[in-house]
Amino acid sequence: MPLDRDASTADALLTDLYLDAVLAGRSFRGEVGLDAGIGTAGSTPDPAPSGRLDPAVRAVSDRLRHDLVRVHPSFRFEERLATRLAEAAIVLRVPAAVGAEGHVVPFRSPSRRPVGGPDGTAAAMDADHLPAGIETGLDIDRRDLARPLLIGGALTSAALSLAGAALVAWRRARPGSPMARAARAVRDAHDAATGGPGHRLPFDTRRFD
Amino acid sequence: MVRPVFGRVSVTRRAAPARADRAARVAHLDRDRALVEAAQLDPTRFDALYRRYLAQVYSYAYYELGDHHDAEDATERTFLAALTNLSRFEERARPADGEGASTFRVWLFQIARNTIANQRRGRRRRPAAPLDAAALVADPLDLEGRAAVRDEAAAAWNAVGRLPADRRRALVLRFVEEMSTAEIAGILGRSEGAVRVLIHRALRTVARDLGEGDGARGSRR
Repeated sequence: MPLDRDASTADALLTDLYLDAVLAGRSFRGEVGLDAGIGTAGSTPDPAPSGRLDPAVRAVSDRLRHDLVRVHPSFRFEERLATRLAEAAIVLRVPAAVGAEGHVVPFRSPSRRPVGGPDGTAAAMDADHLPAGIETGLDIDRRDLARPLLIGGALTSAALSLAGAALVAWRRARPGSPMARAARAVRDAHDAATGGPGHRLPFDTRRFD
Repeated sequence: MVRPVFGRVSVTRRAAPARADRAARVAHLDRDRALVEAAQLDPTRFDALYRRYLAQVYSYAYYELGDHHDAEDATERTFLAALTNLSRFEERARPADGEGASTFRVWLFQIARNTIANQRRGRRRRPAAPLDAAALVADPLDLEGRAAVRDEAAAAWNAVGRLPADRRRALVLRFVEEMSTAEIAGILGRSEGAVRVLIHRALRTVARDLGEGDGARGSRR
C-alpha cells in the first residue's frame, strides 16, 4: 500500500505544519488543499501532498493545546532538589587528588636524648667540630621538632636528612682506625723519602711517636 | 522554517570528513551553550540549567507516571544523572538547526525518558489520570464552568493516557513541552517522519475517543 503510506505521510506533514502554527501562536491558513498549497503564516507554502487537514485532527489539536497544561512542581521540592544538586556539584568540583587523603599531624617531640652518648657531652663536642650547615642539622636538642608535617614524602625526606647528618657527624668525630693510621704513616714515609707532593714536615711524622 | 535535525547520523555522513562539519558545529551558538559550558567548568553553576528545565522535566515525568511523588523522584534522578554526566555531553547542534536549537534539552529529556522507563519497569504501574492537575485549568471564580472544564480536561487527559506509550510521549512532548518534531525525534530515537506520523495517528485516536470532529464539540473553543 504505497499510496496509503504516502497519503498518511502527507497528512502527518500537514498536521505537523498546523501544529507548528498553533503552538507558535500563529494563524493557520484555513482549509488549504491541493489548489491553495499548504503552509503556515510567514513561511513559504509547501506543495499540498494530499487533501485538507482533517477537521477532527484540527479540533482535537485545539482542545489538547488548551487542556494539556504544564504541571509545575512544588516550591519546596524545587528548593530541596536545588540544595541536593549544589551539594553534589561541590563534590564534583573538587575531585580527590593523589595523596589528598592525607592529613597534617604534629611531629612527635623527641625525648631530648643526646645523639652522641647518654650523658650528652659527646653530642655537644661533636657538634662543635662540625661545619656550620651540618651543625645546624645536628642540633636536635635545641630545636623544636613539634612542627606539623604532611604524612608521606615530606616526612621521609626529613628522616633521610636527619639520618644523613648523623652519619656524617659520626664519621667526622670518630678517630681513625689503626689500619688507616698505618696506611697514612706508610704514605707519609714514602713521600718524605722521595720528596713527592705528599711530603710532610718532620713535626708531622713525630705525631705517631 | 528551518528545522533542526537531531536524528542519528547516516553512514554516508559519518564517513565523510568531519572537519568542516565540526567547525560549523562549534561556530553555532546553542541556546544553552553558555550555561552548559559554564556548568562543565564549574558544576556549581548547573543551577541555571536546573531552574530553566525543572518544570519541563517534572511535567513530562508527571504525564508519564501520573503521580506527584513518582514524578518528583524521576525528576530528581534525571537532574542528578545530568549533573554527574555533564562532562560527557557534547553539543551537536548545527547552524542549520535554527536559533532556538538546544541539544542539551534533547539530551536531558533522553535521560528523563530512560529514568522514567526504569521507574515504570520497577513499579509496573499504568499512569493514573491526573485529575488534580486538570483542575488547575479552570477559572477559580467560575464554579460551574470550572466543573465543566475540569471534566473536559480530565477526559482529554484520560484519552491521552490510554494511548500507546510512544504516541503518548510524542503527544505530550509536542503539546506540553512545545517541542519541535526534530527534538522529539532526537528524544525518542526516531526519524522526523516517523514522529509526524506518530503524532498524527495519536491525534486521530484521541479525536475518535473524545468524539471530536463529529460536530458535537468541534466548535467548543
